[in-house]
Amino acid sequence: MSSSPPPSSAAASPSCPKKMIALRSSDGETFEIEEAAALQSKTLENMIDEDCAGTPIPLPNVTGKILAKVVEFCSKHAEPGVDDESLRAWDAEFVNVEQATVFDYILAANFLEIPTLLNLTCNVVADMIRGKTPDEIRKFFNIKSIFSPEEEEEVRRENHWAFE
Amino acid sequence: MASLESLTEDLLVRIYKGLASDGDRKSWRLVCRDFHRIDALTRSSLRVLRVEFLRSLLANYPRLDTLDLSVCPRIDDGAVAVLLTSRGSPWAFPRAASSSLSPPGRDPLAWTRGLRKLVLSRSTGLGHHGLEQVIRACAYLESVDVSHCCGFGDREAAALSCGARLREVKMDKCLGVTDVGLAKIAVGCGRLEKVSLKWCMEIGDLGVDLLCNKCVDLKFLDLSYLKVTNDSLRSIGSLPKLEVLALVGCSLIDDTGLQFLGGGCPLLRVIDMSRCNGISSCGLISVAKGHEDLVQLNASYSLTECSSILLRCFKDLKNLNAIKIDGARVSDSAFKALSNCTSLVEIGLGKCIGATNLGLMRLVSGCVNLRVLDLTCCHSITDAAIFAISDSCRNLTCLKLESCNMITEKSLYYLGSFCLLLEELDLTDCGGINDTGLEYLSNCLELSCLKLALCPTISDKGLGHIASKCRKICEIDLYRCNGIGDDALAALSSGCKKLRRLNLSYCSDVTDRGMEYLGQLEELWDLEMRSLFNVTGVGLMALAAGCKRLADLDMKYCENVDDSGFWALAYYARNLRQEAKLVHLNKVTVEGFELALRTCWVRIKKVKLLAALRFKLSSDVRETLHSRGCKIRWD
Repeated sequence: MSSSPPPSSAAASPSCPKKMIALRSSDGETFEIEEAAALQSKTLENMIDEDCAGTPIPLPNVTGKILAKVVEFCSKHAEPGVDDESLRAWDAEFVNVEQATVFDYILAANFLEIPTLLNLTCNVVADMIRGKTPDEIRKFFNIKSIFSPEEEEEVRRENHWAFE
Repeated sequence: MASLESLTEDLLVRIYKGLASDGDRKSWRLVCRDFHRIDALTRSSLRVLRVEFLRSLLANYPRLDTLDLSVCPRIDDGAVAVLLTSRGSPWAFPRAASSSLSPPGRDPLAWTRGLRKLVLSRSTGLGHHGLEQVIRACAYLESVDVSHCCGFGDREAAALSCGARLREVKMDKCLGVTDVGLAKIAVGCGRLEKVSLKWCMEIGDLGVDLLCNKCVDLKFLDLSYLKVTNDSLRSIGSLPKLEVLALVGCSLIDDTGLQFLGGGCPLLRVIDMSRCNGISSCGLISVAKGHEDLVQLNASYSLTECSSILLRCFKDLKNLNAIKIDGARVSDSAFKALSNCTSLVEIGLGKCIGATNLGLMRLVSGCVNLRVLDLTCCHSITDAAIFAISDSCRNLTCLKLESCNMITEKSLYYLGSFCLLLEELDLTDCGGINDTGLEYLSNCLELSCLKLALCPTISDKGLGHIASKCRKICEIDLYRCNGIGDDALAALSSGCKKLRRLNLSYCSDVTDRGMEYLGQLEELWDLEMRSLFNVTGVGLMALAAGCKRLADLDMKYCENVDDSGFWALAYYARNLRQEAKLVHLNKVTVEGFELALRTCWVRIKKVKLLAALRFKLSSDVRETLHSRGCKIRWD
């Protein structure tokens, strides 16, 4: 009885299981993400390079709810053969969420250093601001800190007369 | 729960950088202190409107690399001296000591070290003393623009030469600069890469020769309209890195000079030799043969004949992108030769004698990548040519057909069916087009600039079709379109919200109702409305109150506008700063003019008034206008 030779390395054979990385959110949930998708995050890429990717990687700054969506984003963007237009449409749907969630995405993308997600979400916020008056911006984002009346007058005057 | 305020400063900077428009950035800085600080720390370029604010702006924007003072009146040596002292300024609007908006202890002259680009074009009040002070203070300055400072001469050039790190100097229309001044710059600014000396007519071969000897890094050189000869071309040929050369209107140059060029400047990519009457196809052939990487060639109005040999030469230029041979005689076989240059994206054939349907059909059968085609005054072309063009060149974005009077609505049908990327179309004086044609054309949803001047056959109906579908329209020319009236303006006001430039001169059916519609166009900044004698003060008031960005206005011959309309204009049109042509307004009294001028003189740069007013306007009005940097032209 001869033993069959060990299977060839995972990279060569597509039917072999892909390498999975485990992530743990701040509230204790565990998620699995393909290595290819994880590489979208520079933070995770560094950890994988330094071989710390054995046990679940703790991410104390990201909750389970958000981490699930981030994993979904990275997986989608690592998928081969997706054309630009449908990816753009998918992205647009992905960020079609309430304000607070967009900010959570921004913070997570910043922490995990995912440039595609960071750019997408920051542009979404810029879009929300576009065309609004200062008052509308304050109301929309519930901004509390404001100017003193003299300061506001000064800034208003500059806006109108001083430069463009 | 995350909110905008939970983001760190660098994230807020990212979002801020996503705001492209000036209006949005101004709204941002007015939201709260944190946002204001982000704007102050990130903004890198400022175009200052008033000199009173200049000092505090410079102190509070530490990351400025570009400063544009070209629209800031009263920039003079005194202003510069104040800017460059490190003590406090006695001027208006100092920041309150308790204001948290400007942190204390910041060095008021830090801006001089960060500045890389300074725009002082039209700053005619500045002298060589002030100029030298500011150049010396901004030690890292790389780019200076003093174009249109017509009084500038060799002393000012000497001041510029103190900028050892300068890489770019723009001195168009500095009429007093001679070879002596240019020599100083050449010696002082050895790192120059980009030099523009258009219309500096006192400069000749001597200055150019020295410039080419000393500034070997030159990549861009513009000597248009100068009286330079072939000797200059010999010197220019020695520049190893030159990529772009402009010699428009250099009538003393001929084919001998072009041969020098043919043998030199190995990296030449763009050459503009339009309006040079001394050159011919031979000279161009030597340029083309010497430069296989040529990308753009402009020989408009220079050649009488565009020989087939020349055009066959172009086949070897694999990167040739744009060619302009306006005014030359071309034969059908010449077009065939040109059709071999399949890399061509732009072709200029304006006023080309011999441009026929057959020739054009041959041309576009090869040049399928064409995006820009100029067929101005090619009178003999018909719908058949346009069919061929539309069918072959699906990527067409700009088509000029001025005075092609055999073109009919069929051509517009072809364009509306095949050229859906079309952005710019010039149908000036095309007597054959009509409203049906405009309906066909409205399928071109990318249309942004449409010229229909001198087309009496179009009416409100046709314009309505365009306005209802072409939402990206920014510019429309309806000069002397007699069929246009208020309904067209109604359509424009609801459909074309991005309209910025509009010419309605001599569309005499337009009344106050039409003006009211125009008042809804918030982006309008350039309006020509000559001779609209059905418009009164009421209409003008509606226009002025609504079009807050209006900057250029020509109201010549609007004879029914009276004082009330005029005051409204002065009151509302805060932006009227570039030019106002206010001639032949018979119903406006002298007092009306004076009041208006007093109100808007802080901004306005040029005013054209009837000569008779010269003696009626009080002298203090005229003096104040003058001291505010406003030019009065008397008609």
